[in-house]
Amino acid sequence: MDVSELRKNAKVQLDGHPYVVVEFLFVKPGKGQGLYKCKLKNMITGAVLDRTWRSGEKFDPANVESRKMQYLFKDQNGFTFMDNESYEQVALADEIVGDDSAFLLDQISVDVLFYNDRPVGVTLPSHIVMTITECEPGVKGDTATNATKSATVETGHKIQVPLFIREGDKVKIDTRTGAYVERINT
Amino acid sequence: MTQTELGGLAWPARVQIWDAALAAVRGYFRDQGLREVSTPVRLRAVAVEPFIDPIAAPPGLLATSPELAMKRLLTRGSGPIFQVAHVFRRAEVGARHSEEFHLVEWYRLGADLDPLLADVEAIVERVFDATGTKGHAPKTWQRVRFRDVVASTCGARLRGDEDAEALTAALPPALAAEVVAALAPAHDADPAARTLLAWTAFFSAWSDMFFETWLKGHEGTHLVEFPRPLAALAVVDAADRGLARRAECHVGGLEIANGYVELRDPAEQRRRFAAVNQLRRVHGEAALPIDDDFLGELPGLPPCAGIALGLDRLITLAAGRTRLADVSLALGGA
Repeated sequence: MDVSELRKNAKVQLDGHPYVVVEFLFVKPGKGQGLYKCKLKNMITGAVLDRTWRSGEKFDPANVESRKMQYLFKDQNGFTFMDNESYEQVALADEIVGDDSAFLLDQISVDVLFYNDRPVGVTLPSHIVMTITECEPGVKGDTATNATKSATVETGHKIQVPLFIREGDKVKIDTRTGAYVERINT
Repeated sequence: MTQTELGGLAWPARVQIWDAALAAVRGYFRDQGLREVSTPVRLRAVAVEPFIDPIAAPPGLLATSPELAMKRLLTRGSGPIFQVAHVFRRAEVGARHSEEFHLVEWYRLGADLDPLLADVEAIVERVFDATGTKGHAPKTWQRVRFRDVVASTCGARLRGDEDAEALTAALPPALAAEVVAALAPAHDADPAARTLLAWTAFFSAWSDMFFETWLKGHEGTHLVEFPRPLAALAVVDAADRGLARRAECHVGGLEIANGYVELRDPAEQRRRFAAVNQLRRVHGEAALPIDDDFLGELPGLPPCAGIALGLDRLITLAAGRTRLADVSLALGGA
């Protein structure tokens, strides 16, 4: 595509990787050739780089698509998800899911990124609610201190929680940092 | 200056600021005795300039500037004239560019740029004043010569009449590399086109790497005495053949105006247009039609100087904003 089509949020293919334009600046220094100065984010690794195109140049649009899918199960083929619309099932290898596997609750809805029709990444909801399956006994009334203890959630993942949290409590977790956010009263 | 806020103006404020600015511009020119004209927007041909791409409007093109039409009026005895023109340049979209914008363009008789640069300063002040932001108008204007500011920023000592190879040899490595890269696809172009290509690439890279940073430390700046290959539609200085009588005006790092002592030699103007068309072919673009009617009448053009000022940019500055879209009356969805 012609670089004049570049905009913020455009998806661009560079060196075999999909990138999204996160910052975009069109300039014509000294009445010369127009320059399209972009900050690009690798849609798989998150790495950010600067790239400038000149007017008249072409860029390759990245064939990327985000699909809403539901997590079904894990077996020797990896993590299997189902497309919410087509019911098609796709298995994602362990290395694609990576650390996010700690938050894969049964039937959780996620965005799966497809690049050239291959799944390349998973985006979880930014916050999820999980149940504490194991932790030391709660310390009644201690809601004021910053002291924490280790607790295990239903996926087997361990997180740090405040001392008042008890087994069976539901807690909100930030999936981007893995940090405890708050207790959910039920 | 430099007091900017984020976000677009509310609609009533936009209408108010455009009304105030247009009234200030028109009032200034009437005080100065210039007549207002309005020339056609759909044309058979436009001025052929590097990297200014017209939008097709079959069977013609939308005006990229009112320049050729206004010069033909001058040839027919209009006397000093001004226009607030709608102009169109394809694929110029960004915070400080829009495919459609307003050029205030005016011509005075006499081969002298100085009165036009004084006009620019007065118009900038009047528009800031009329829009209630007088305190933020540039307080100082300075005039710098192209050669001097090139030498002081990047160390290159240029005369202005170097060909592509001599220019490359005179530049520091980072700039020379840009020129060499620009020349690579033009090995079979003729020397005039290669010289134009080299100087255009140099000016662009130098602006990007050096001049824009330099400009940000200054309020109002007139860049004068351009090198001959960047003369565009300006005359070459009679005493110094390396220089063209062209000027660019900048406010706080933003270019707002570009003017010429107008070239009146049709053969020379035709050669320049042809060189630009060669440059366009090097970039894989179609040649633009040459306006033979304009060239045919050019010998009758009285000695004059003209300049064009980007009104959308001036209003953006006066509103203390950074994006044309923050003050634009474009309603979207068009």
